[in-house]
Amino acid sequence: MNGYLGKILRVDLSQSKLWDEPLNEDYARNYVGGSGLAARYLYDLLDRNTDPLGPENPLFFLAGPLVGTSMTSAGRYSVCARSPLTGIWGEANSGGFFGSELRYAGYDGVLITGKAGQPVWLSIVEGQVALHKAGDLWGRDIYDTQTRLREVLGDPKVRVACIGLAGENLVKLAGIANDHGRFAARTGLGAVMGSKNLKAIAVGGTGKISLYAPEEFKTITNQILAMYKDDFPAQSLRAYGTAGYVNLSHMLGDLPIRYFQLGEHASADDLSGVDLAEKYLRRNTACHKCVIACGRETQSPAYHDSKVDGPEYEVIGALGSLLMIFDLEAVIHAGHLCNLYGMDIISMGVTIGLACDLFERGLLTPADTGGLEIRYGCAETVFRLIDLTAHREGFGAVLAEGNAALAERAGVPELSATVNRLEVPMHDPRAYLGMAVTYALSPRGACHMQGDMYSLDLGQSNIEEVGLEPGDRHDNTFEKGRTAARLQAWRNLYNSLILCQFENPGVQPLLAAINAATGWGLEAEDLITLGKRIVNIKRLLNFKLGLTRANDRLPDLLLKPLQEGGTAGYHPDMPTLLAGAYAEFGWDAESGQPLGDLHL
Amino acid sequence: MAIKFPSDKWIKELSERLNASEVYAQAAATWEGDNVFVILPDADYPDTTYLYINLQHGKASNARQLSSLDEQKALFTTSAPFNTWRRVLEGRLDPIQGMFSGKLKLVGSMAQVQRTPKATYEMVKVAVEIDTDFGA
Repeated sequence: MNGYLGKILRVDLSQSKLWDEPLNEDYARNYVGGSGLAARYLYDLLDRNTDPLGPENPLFFLAGPLVGTSMTSAGRYSVCARSPLTGIWGEANSGGFFGSELRYAGYDGVLITGKAGQPVWLSIVEGQVALHKAGDLWGRDIYDTQTRLREVLGDPKVRVACIGLAGENLVKLAGIANDHGRFAARTGLGAVMGSKNLKAIAVGGTGKISLYAPEEFKTITNQILAMYKDDFPAQSLRAYGTAGYVNLSHMLGDLPIRYFQLGEHASADDLSGVDLAEKYLRRNTACHKCVIACGRETQSPAYHDSKVDGPEYEVIGALGSLLMIFDLEAVIHAGHLCNLYGMDIISMGVTIGLACDLFERGLLTPADTGGLEIRYGCAETVFRLIDLTAHREGFGAVLAEGNAALAERAGVPELSATVNRLEVPMHDPRAYLGMAVTYALSPRGACHMQGDMYSLDLGQSNIEEVGLEPGDRHDNTFEKGRTAARLQAWRNLYNSLILCQFENPGVQPLLAAINAATGWGLEAEDLITLGKRIVNIKRLLNFKLGLTRANDRLPDLLLKPLQEGGTAGYHPDMPTLLAGAYAEFGWDAESGQPLGDLHL
Repeated sequence: MAIKFPSDKWIKELSERLNASEVYAQAAATWEGDNVFVILPDADYPDTTYLYINLQHGKASNARQLSSLDEQKALFTTSAPFNTWRRVLEGRLDPIQGMFSGKLKLVGSMAQVQRTPKATYEMVKVAVEIDTDFGA
């Protein structure tokens, strides 16, 4: 099967059993890999009674058919399970090299069930698999854990995916780290790993990936690499990382400020990615075969942090402007704390943001918070809250349940900034109205990686051939809904191949690469069909887990127009936008159910 | 009366209007950098034309048409075919969208552009207001 290893590693932690299982070729052909393929597998394995933190919840690490090849930035992997944070489809994706090494080790994926009697870690090296006691690793941060496992295996090139203290403590904001500080951050899958007493997975190998037309593939991928030399977005990402977007985002009203309730602020430009690069950048970091190298390794002398992964744009928003902290060094330090503990920074920031807001409204008092005054703009309090959350201590045990749970506890669910209980990322849907559709229909709850309308409407994506053209960001129409749905299909294909969303070579080069890798002989529109099928399987799974059409909504907080800034006066017309999206996906207008041939 | 684009008269008009704009002065208060706009030939325009403008702290100066790029070195060079410029100046192509999509090729200090995007936006807003004659 070209493009695949054809093998999944099955792990039953309760029985300490490991065995190989052939990859379901029919599933792979229809759902590709990554989160799409995982969704098809888990559709058969999950139901409403599956406890997200119970042994029965399957945890699936999956690569895709381009991962580990010469395709640029295709070293990614997906982790999927029922989310303990949201109760629905859980999906997180990460870059680095873990995905490619998993494939070189001999597997397309690892499907884990059960719960180990004591902490363990799993090694998959050159096709040899084993479980090991992890007692001495339990309690270590993500960096120590990765270093220790490379020492144990005697191979500095081994790649490790692991949890930190947050995952061990079943914090529902816990992510899974790999390659130093890269994260499969979202939907609390680190807690699923922790619930299974699985501290880490180490992978490495020298295996080859069979391709349908290897020479042609190499030629195409070399051509794609060459495209990034003069590409403006690529140059910007290389120079300033995703943080380079901060000033433009602020101007456009896309940067959330003061818990999504302020459209602009005089100090927001102090969080500039240009300043970050000029004052605090140590070096760029890159993923597998990436020529952009958007990753940041920074330092924060004021807090004695000499080597920090990030901060990315999302970190600067979630731990900076959202909380009215306009000091880059404080943001770097707060991000570093989350990294050490292994926590999703978006969810942590948005949950702390709500705490600040509740405190200001008098809905939280020091009596609720163990004496803490939780005020906007206080970095020291943010550091303390991150620490408490990772340890589940005091008020941290409340924050560890996430933003939606905190809003419910305070009796103000309307102040929650979540969609289906996942915290909203740092792209305000009032700035790009298509993002309202992306968030409302995202299968894992509010997620910018399911359809980056801000990139499309900024002109970045180069995909006109599949009907995706930049438009007016404030277009509040049926057609905008259609476009957002189509982009969601496109990005779901990306999350299944699995490709970085900063790599946008255009439709024909990508199509040529997929066909040369797999021999599928696809045409351009087939890519959208595959993407829609992947969106549909995730939606069907969510319906199976209890969601309905009524869940296709934005939080009240984001439906109110702001009074100032680049998005002043705008708010999404949800019925119109959603009608367009339903039409594009071919869903039933009343029930929201996917229709037609679903390839189940 | 409409002013022909591209021309020496047009870039001088832009300079005057920028100097009269309080909004531009504020948006570009920290902007430092002169720019050459390169208008490249396409189906509707046969020549390559260079328009120079010096932009410092919200004020414009020394605007003129150049005979070549060698005549005046500038911190920024922005190049596009005539009809792409026309779309920008008619408000049909957002300048940032133009840069990200590669329709407008920018060479110069990326830090300046990233740090003060509002300066670019406000300059284009002023340019769009000029009564411009694009020929046939």
